Amino acid sequence: MNDENAWVLQAQRGSDEAFTQLVETYQKPVFNLCYRMLGEPEAAEDAAQETFLRAYQNLHRYDNSRSFGTWILSIAAHYCIDRLRKRRFSVLSIDEEDEDGLTLEIPDPASPDPEAESAKQEDRDRLHLLLKDLDETDRAAVVMRYWYDYSEVEIAQSLHLTVSAVKSRLHRSRRALAEMWQVEKPRAYPERRSRESLAF
Amino acid sequence: MNHLPFENWLLNDMPVTPEQQRELELHLRNCSYCSALAETGKMLKTTKIVNPASGFTARFQARLRERKIADRRRKLWGSVLFTLGGLAFLMWILSPYVVSFVASPATWISAIVGWLVFLGTTLFALADAGRVILSVIPSFLPPFAWMVLLSMIAGLGLLWSVSIWRLVRMPQGV
Repeated sequence: MNDENAWVLQAQRGSDEAFTQLVETYQKPVFNLCYRMLGEPEAAEDAAQETFLRAYQNLHRYDNSRSFGTWILSIAAHYCIDRLRKRRFSVLSIDEEDEDGLTLEIPDPASPDPEAESAKQEDRDRLHLLLKDLDETDRAAVVMRYWYDYSEVEIAQSLHLTVSAVKSRLHRSRRALAEMWQVEKPRAYPERRSRESLAF
Repeated sequence: MNHLPFENWLLNDMPVTPEQQRELELHLRNCSYCSALAETGKMLKTTKIVNPASGFTARFQARLRERKIADRRRKLWGSVLFTLGGLAFLMWILSPYVVSFVASPATWISAIVGWLVFLGTTLFALADAGRVILSVIPSFLPPFAWMVLLSMIAGLGLLWSVSIWRLVRMPQGV
């Protein structure tokens, strides 16, 4: 039995210290998922905290044969999807939110080419903003696939979808992102094309 | 422009041969859509994981403490309101009887005494009947049937105890 399973078992028996170890281990992936889903660090922090609280309250329902990581990311994804759906119906439009592309990734000034690094950062921020235009479930699938290397089967389990639905959602999202990228950045790609290979 | 098979390669992250790679490079030079598809795919794969601000676990612990206190407070208020509501309901139901009792206590006291006497005599009669049945039944049932019956009762008792134990040891969250 590894440490994680032991912590889960102890936490299920009521040990808050063991659950704290799980929070320590999974805070980064959970926060990152929430950040990619919600787009703002403050909302991501709140959602990540709420995810862990929900996990704590529902720990007795956790099936020990599954990966704890998949389970907690599934809680986070569903929470963020719900929150985005509520937000969509609330008075505050998503367009009124911070459009500055708030990000916690700061380009390293000591990197060999700060200009290129800064351009990359700009592209990442733009991509981060484009993610906001995807459907909530599609966004969760994209984040799980590309940030966590989840297989389509794992995404399907986490989001309660079929594998073919996940595949089709991923393809649809990638196409949508590419189309938005073209609109957002029509002049940038010839420059980049001359510098580097885009294929794989 | 026909994007096949390039779009398929890019969307499924399929491994390509050097020849296919050259074909893809050539296509990407002329196709802005596939170029955007490749670029966004590469960006998605290389974008870093964002970390929460330091002290996340301490903030979680504080939040958990607050949530537990709020839950306890909510449960306490819930039970207080439930008890008060129940008492008010009981008072409302009993108020006509209380009023009539206060108006004529003698009638009520004689009715209660009569009822208690009736209850006592009924219980005595039932006990007598039970004694008679218990003295007669063993002769009707063979010892084997008694064993089966007692085992069934013991089994049901055990099942009940185990389910109560499982319910009690199951963590109930905050």
